[in-house]
Amino acid sequence: MEMSINGARILATFENVPLLGTVHLTQTLVVSWLVMLIISVLCIWLGSGLKVTGISRKQAVAEMIVTALVDFVHDKMGTEFDHYIPLVGTIFITSIVSNLISLLGIWSPTADLMTELAWALVVFVLITYHKIKSSGIGGYLKSFLDPIFIMAPINVMSELFTPISMACRHFGNILSGTVISALIYGSLTAASYALFGALGSSRVIAIAVAAAGGGLIYLSTRNGKKAPKIVGIVLAVLGVLGLLNSFGGVFASFPWLTVGLPAITSFYFDWFSGCIQAFIFCTLTTIFIKQAAG
Amino acid sequence: METLYQSLVAVEPVTLIANICNLFIQMLIIKKFFLDKILAILDQRRNAADKELNDAKTAKDEALNIKKTYEDNMLQANAKANEILAAAQKTASERSEKIIAEAQSSAAQIKSKASADIAQEKKKAINDAKNEISGLAMAIAGKVVERELAESDQQSLIDRFIDELGDQV
Repeated sequence: MEMSINGARILATFENVPLLGTVHLTQTLVVSWLVMLIISVLCIWLGSGLKVTGISRKQAVAEMIVTALVDFVHDKMGTEFDHYIPLVGTIFITSIVSNLISLLGIWSPTADLMTELAWALVVFVLITYHKIKSSGIGGYLKSFLDPIFIMAPINVMSELFTPISMACRHFGNILSGTVISALIYGSLTAASYALFGALGSSRVIAIAVAAAGGGLIYLSTRNGKKAPKIVGIVLAVLGVLGLLNSFGGVFASFPWLTVGLPAITSFYFDWFSGCIQAFIFCTLTTIFIKQAAG
Repeated sequence: METLYQSLVAVEPVTLIANICNLFIQMLIIKKFFLDKILAILDQRRNAADKELNDAKTAKDEALNIKKTYEDNMLQANAKANEILAAAQKTASERSEKIIAEAQSSAAQIKSKASADIAQEKKKAINDAKNEISGLAMAIAGKVVERELAESDQQSLIDRFIDELGDQV
C-alpha cells in the first residue's frame, strides 16, 4: 500500500496579494481560528455570571484554573512578572487545545512549525527586550563576546537557536505523534485487509472460527476462567466480521482493525505528549524570560 | 479540485505573521473576558475576607473594652459598698459608744445625786435629831430645874441622856 505524510492542506491560494505575494490559506490557519473560537467561547462562558460568595461549580473550576496559572508563573518567575500571566496562559491553553483537537480527526495547528515558531518568536523578542533592559544595549552586545571575541558566532547562534529549539521541540513531538499515528493507522488498515481478506475468502473458515470462539466463550463461562473467554470473544468477533466480509460491499472495504486500537497509541502521542509539550513550552517561556531579566 | 499539501516542514511567512497576530488577539480575549474578571473576583473575595477579619477583631476589642469597663465598674461598686459598710459600722460603733458613755455619765450623775440626797437627808436627820435633842434637853433641863437637882446630878443626867441619844442615832 502507499502512504504519504504531508503538511497542512492548502485550502486556497491567493496570487499577487499586495506586499505579501502568493498567500496560501492552509488548514493550520483555519484550525487556529477554530481553536481561538473554542477558547474564546470557553473563556466568555467561564468568565460570565461571577459572584464573590456562593459560587457555582463552573466558577470554582475557573478560579482553580486561574489560581493554578498564577501559582505556576509565581513559582517560576516570582511576583514581579505578573503582566506575563496572560501570555503564558494563552500559549498553554492554545497549545493544549491545538494538540488535542487532533483527537477529533482535525488537523492540529501545532503540527505546523509556523505555529510554534510564531510563539517562540514572541518569547524571543521578550527575552531580548529583558536582556537589553537589564544590562543595557552595550552590555547586551558585549555579552556576545564572552568569554573571548572568537566565541561571538557561537554566542549569536546559541541566541538565535533558543526560539528555534523551543519551536522545534514542540513541533517535533506533535509531528512525530502525527507520523506514528499515520503509520499505525496505515499498518492496521493493511493488516485488516489481509486478515479479513483471508477469513472472508472462505465462509467455512469464517464460520469455523466464529463457532470455535462461541464454544470457548461457552466453556469458559461454565469454568469461570477469564483468559479463554477473552480469546473466545476475539475469535467470535473475528469470525463474524470475516463472514460479513465474505459478502463483499461496504463490509469488505472497511478497515475493521482501525476501530479502537489506535486509541491506545493515541493516548500517549495525543493526550500525554500534547499536554507535556504545552507544559514544557510554557515552563521554558517563563524560565528564559526570568533568566534574561535576572 | 486537486488537494494540495504543504511540505512537512514549510516556512510560510504569512502563516507565521497570522499566528503571531492570533496569539495577541487570543491573549487579549483571554485577559479581558476571563483572567481579569476572575482575578478581580478573587481580589474582591480577599478584600471581603480581610474586612470580615478586621470587623471581627474590632468587635472583639469592643467586647473586651465593654468587659473591662464592666469589671472596673464592679470593682468600684464593691469598693463603694465596702466604704459605705465601713462608714455605717463606724457610725454605729460611735453611736453605741456615745450611748454607753451617756448612760454611764447619767448613771454616775444619778448615783452622785442619790448619794448627795442621802447625805443631805442624813444631815437633815441629824439636824432634826439635834434640834429634837436640844428641845428635849431644854425640857429635861426645865424639869431638872423644877426638881432642884444638884449641879452634879444635873450634869451627869444630861451626859447620860445625850449618850443614850447618840447611841440611838
